[in-house]
Amino acid sequence: MGSIEVSSLSKSFRTGPPVLDSLSFRFDGAGAVGYLGPNGAGKTTTLKLLVGLLRPSRGHAFLNGVDPMVDRKGALWDVGALIETPEPYPTLNVLEALDAVGRLRGLTRDDVDREVDRCHELLDLPPLGQRIGGLSKGQRQRVALAATLMGDPSVLLLDEPTSGLDPAERVLVRHLLNRLKRDHLVLLSSHQMLEVTEVCDRVVFLDRGRILLDDRVDRVAGRIRSRQVDVEFARPVAPESATALADVGGAVTPISERRWRISFDGSDATRIRLLERCQGLAPVVQFAPTTLVLEDAYLELIPPTADNA
Amino acid sequence: MASGGPTVIDHVATVGGTAPSVSAESRTASRRRVSDFEQWRVVTVNQLEHYVRTYRFLGLLGFVVLISVLTLAFEIDAGTGAVRVAQLFRSSEYLSNFLANTGLWVVLAAAFFGGDALSVDFSTGAGYYILVLPVRRSVLLAGRYTAATLLAVAIVGVYYLIGTIGAIYFFGAGTIPWGALVESLGAAALFTLAALSVAFCVSAFVRSPSAGVLITVLVLYVGFTTLQSVVELAGVEPWWSLSYAGGTMAAILDTDFVHVQLIPLGEDQFYTIWSATASEGLAIMVAYLAVFLPFSAYLYQRQESTG
Repeated sequence: MGSIEVSSLSKSFRTGPPVLDSLSFRFDGAGAVGYLGPNGAGKTTTLKLLVGLLRPSRGHAFLNGVDPMVDRKGALWDVGALIETPEPYPTLNVLEALDAVGRLRGLTRDDVDREVDRCHELLDLPPLGQRIGGLSKGQRQRVALAATLMGDPSVLLLDEPTSGLDPAERVLVRHLLNRLKRDHLVLLSSHQMLEVTEVCDRVVFLDRGRILLDDRVDRVAGRIRSRQVDVEFARPVAPESATALADVGGAVTPISERRWRISFDGSDATRIRLLERCQGLAPVVQFAPTTLVLEDAYLELIPPTADNA
Repeated sequence: MASGGPTVIDHVATVGGTAPSVSAESRTASRRRVSDFEQWRVVTVNQLEHYVRTYRFLGLLGFVVLISVLTLAFEIDAGTGAVRVAQLFRSSEYLSNFLANTGLWVVLAAAFFGGDALSVDFSTGAGYYILVLPVRRSVLLAGRYTAATLLAVAIVGVYYLIGTIGAIYFFGAGTIPWGALVESLGAAALFTLAALSVAFCVSAFVRSPSAGVLITVLVLYVGFTTLQSVVELAGVEPWWSLSYAGGTMAAILDTDFVHVQLIPLGEDQFYTIWSATASEGLAIMVAYLAVFLPFSAYLYQRQESTG
């Protein structure tokens, strides 16, 4: 089973502060790790260092125990990486682009055919004879994802894998990742909290090249409290009645005649009092946090600033 | 184990709680360790297809054929007698003059096939597709270099073929210096290897593909030629110039070859023109190949994907 490790990893460019500052972590086994942080936090840089697209200023990265700076072929042998926006030669067709990857990964002709069929089924690929240059952004992204999966590597490094995909394609990829994580190690860098929430077992929050939090998703959920709820009533509620809820919580904002958004301090006691007050106004159909737990955690750990807002 | 602030957590984690076994149904492909040689072959074939489909090869080949055939047509129009007189009644002289443009075609081929061969990985998304695969960069370079060489030599070969057809037409097959012609073609192949190694070096250094193509042409054609003329004016042999070495391709066929010509400019003043001897030219080409190809590999290896 795969492993991903970085040890005191730092990366600086000629100008500016270090992008990564003595980062260390190691993940073993199967599962999915969400890698979260604002733009410029160092997520993509970490992935690039892992696959050897960048050279570390200090420290080491290891994939399955092999340092790509020492043995690039060995390190990447059982690894699939989707970083930035991969573009096969536009003159190749889908089959040729995947075939080249399969052959370079050591698949036989028959295995390449089988893998292409598997990826075609998993990702609803565009017609195999179509030129890459003629594909839409979403189609190219699915081909790039298929290339990442060719040969079924045990470690998957995915940087915004659903970027450029439509909602249906995103659902498809999320389901795929949930299947893959059963027996693959997936490091998923994403801004999509829903994606990370649905897929990942662990989550790492990164900011300015440093790890702020690294924990299991369920434990993060236990320590983070949602500070906003959406309330849906069975019938329209008078605005003056609804805004009176501010006495218990904070700001009350109308979404529709029946739906209101209420901010509060996040405590269970206030939440219960809010629910009771709402039930006093009209039957409550729905009373739910407006944001995902990870989103709240993200905002708590990394408050919006001029840099990352 | 914490590093940095108090909230920073470092640790070893088994993701998902336990280390599960690999299920047969989802780990599908059985992969064998593929050799560098096999990967080189795949890269070479892929690159050949790329060059052919982007019409670089066919475009340059068509251009060379067009110029060669037009030249031949003008000569045929002038008449066999006129051509024989102009070429001193020697097929070797004809071939030497006809093939004098080989250097230009090689430079263009080097620029077209090598000028962006490596920079494409760092200026477009191509690198994020290919450089994340378990392939050594030296193997990628070798495959692309091989593909570029094959196509450049093919173009040169067609040019030599047309020149030879012309020589046979005007002088007869029995007069062709086949041995020298093959030697000249060999020198052209070596010149192609050397020029491509320079082009690959430019490509490993310059991130913009179009700039790489342009710089290759400027360096190999304009730069060397200009510097060579300046140095010759000073009466110094331009032994360091690749274009100087390129003269070997035609010189091998030239039966009146002289290494140094003194052109009188006035009283006690001469302009010296140097022509590389075959051994000197070949040595210069080998030196370029030996220096620039490893240097390309070094630069390519160190290049980072920062974009």
